[in-house]
Amino acid sequence: MILYEILGKAGEEKRTVLTEIEAKAILGEAGINCTDTQLATSKEEAVALSEKMGYPVVLKISSVDISHKSDAGGVKVNLKDKAAVEKAFDDIMNSCKAACPHANIEGIAVQGLAKAGTEVIIGMIKDPSFGPVLMFGLGGIFVEVLKDVAFRIVPLEKNDASDMINEIKGKKLLEGYRGQDPADIPFLEDMLLKLSALADKTEAIAEIDMNPVFAYKQGAVVVDARIILEAD
Amino acid sequence: MMDLFFKPESIAVIGASGTPGKLGYVIVKNIADSDFAGDLYPVNPKSDEILGYKVYRSVTEIPGELDLVVTVLPTPKMTVATVEECAKKGVKAVIIESAGFAEMGGEGKVFQQQIVDIAKQNNIRLMGPNCSGIVSRDIVTSIYPITKKVPGGNVVLIGQSGLLAAGMASDIVENESLNISRVCSIGNKCDVNENDLLEYFGNDDGVDVISMYLETITDGRKLVRIAKEVAAKKPVIFLSGGRTEAGARAAMSHTGSIASNARIVEAAVKQTGMIMADDFTELKDFAKVFSTQPLPKGNRVAVITLAGSVGVNVSDLCAAHGLELPKLREETREKLKDMFDTPVSNPVDLYFSVTKIGFTKTLETTFPDAFRDPNIDAAVVILAGFKYTREAVEKKIIQKIVREVGKPVVVCMIVGYNKYKNVIMDEMGKEIPVFPSLISGVKALSRLCEYGIRKHKKSA
Repeated sequence: MILYEILGKAGEEKRTVLTEIEAKAILGEAGINCTDTQLATSKEEAVALSEKMGYPVVLKISSVDISHKSDAGGVKVNLKDKAAVEKAFDDIMNSCKAACPHANIEGIAVQGLAKAGTEVIIGMIKDPSFGPVLMFGLGGIFVEVLKDVAFRIVPLEKNDASDMINEIKGKKLLEGYRGQDPADIPFLEDMLLKLSALADKTEAIAEIDMNPVFAYKQGAVVVDARIILEAD
Repeated sequence: MMDLFFKPESIAVIGASGTPGKLGYVIVKNIADSDFAGDLYPVNPKSDEILGYKVYRSVTEIPGELDLVVTVLPTPKMTVATVEECAKKGVKAVIIESAGFAEMGGEGKVFQQQIVDIAKQNNIRLMGPNCSGIVSRDIVTSIYPITKKVPGGNVVLIGQSGLLAAGMASDIVENESLNISRVCSIGNKCDVNENDLLEYFGNDDGVDVISMYLETITDGRKLVRIAKEVAAKKPVIFLSGGRTEAGARAAMSHTGSIASNARIVEAAVKQTGMIMADDFTELKDFAKVFSTQPLPKGNRVAVITLAGSVGVNVSDLCAAHGLELPKLREETREKLKDMFDTPVSNPVDLYFSVTKIGFTKTLETTFPDAFRDPNIDAAVVILAGFKYTREAVEKKIIQKIVREVGKPVVVCMIVGYNKYKNVIMDEMGKEIPVFPSLISGVKALSRLCEYGIRKHKKSA
């Protein structure tokens, strides 16, 4: 299983932070839909991956030592052709090496550009007494400023997932506000249940962020993901 | 195993005292005054007789089997030695009321670990330390005098704090304000914890309502599992201290930075179907409503009042707490039209009916006619503490109507003369929920409706 391969590798390297590529591989294996994200270790590889995925693409620095990728100049979006990808590859490498000279950089993650949807955050943390706990909320200011989120204790039952989504104050925004497409709520519920199952069986995972998740009329996709492992 | 605590056939009190006022005296007296009919052994190396009971020098000196040991000793060291003696004697249940353990940190923590270790090795179940144990009809180990018989009712109260649980128990028993069956204080819960008791009382068909106050949650994951099962069968009212504590974890994720202990506990309450109380009065008030009133199928409320302004305030409160005030049906309005000078609405203003047929008769006939309306699931009845209310209260009209109509009522009293109001609140409050404010009554009823709707949905 990919999960145990990645956990084993992280264990050997004595690190608790997984790369976005690793996080998405684990989530993908758990049945959670993520944007196709693959590692390029050279400019040529980045171009080849971009052509395979189809433009436009996103390039992101892949390093467990750089957690604030944008701040380090490690993210370039909406790259529409080969030339843009090549330039972005060099720019990212240069600015990240300058911003974080000691960071161990494994390469650059190439991913398809997801079309915009309703921004959602789904996450997991561990409470010392309750164990794994899931969080659901709307992204952006709703989570940052208003803390409009709902929690449930793992394992979730089906009604827990729908209760979580019903509980947030901004729920109307998921139902299609002012002509926006409604979000595929059953799909989001299913995502929560799959994350619950993953958290329930994987003690080694300490924290998960799926932020943002783009929710569409049909389906939803995890655009960025982060997994932190237990220290021991 | 838990039965040894609640239905022991023999009890020893270590640290028993012959001096009235001392804890070791109060406990022996409380057990003696309860319905406990087994063997009671006070233990004290320096006395011969306490309250007519022969005193023993130590646990090991007591003849025959011993189900339960209660200790109230001045030092943790002496408690450790006693638990060791209990192990030798083959005792399987011990309530440690003394303080000075983990709650003190440092050495106290070490002493607590010692008693836990001894208990584990010898299959002893421990309640406490730093608790006031049990108040029930069959056994009372509380540190406050229990002056009347414990009702043997359908409500249990689980508390963490020793003093508060003991205080609430004495208050409830003396004032007959709640049909309590057991109050249990689990203190530092070094062994027996909320999960053990929730499971025990959940399986006890004599228990209809569980009220629980916790400062710490021992095993949240297990609590969720057990509470979900129990709350599906009977209401579990839950008050949690320390809810405002900020997320103490050093989280690396966004999720972790938002999650706080308070939010997680609230999630657990919602997820399990428990009912959240916000203070100790609510813990008791909600239990009163749940233990005396039938469960409503919905949240549609009739407000019964004599004063329009009060009706308006109650309507606002109902809206804020998720209760609806529907219109009465045409046939109900038709039936009631002779009692009203203006069209009957909701709030139901009984003023005109009272001027026509008097207060008692109005409560006896006009109120139930409106209450029976199929659009109505429950009622808030506002009474005043004046002389004219006395007759209706003495005739127990509201109790009778609740039984006949099969729907719940909460009573609110916000005005009156003390000589009537206090007496009515006390007397009527023994049997049905009576609140000194509109908001407390409305809130309690909203919790009842919420639970009733959930239960109704599940059985549908």
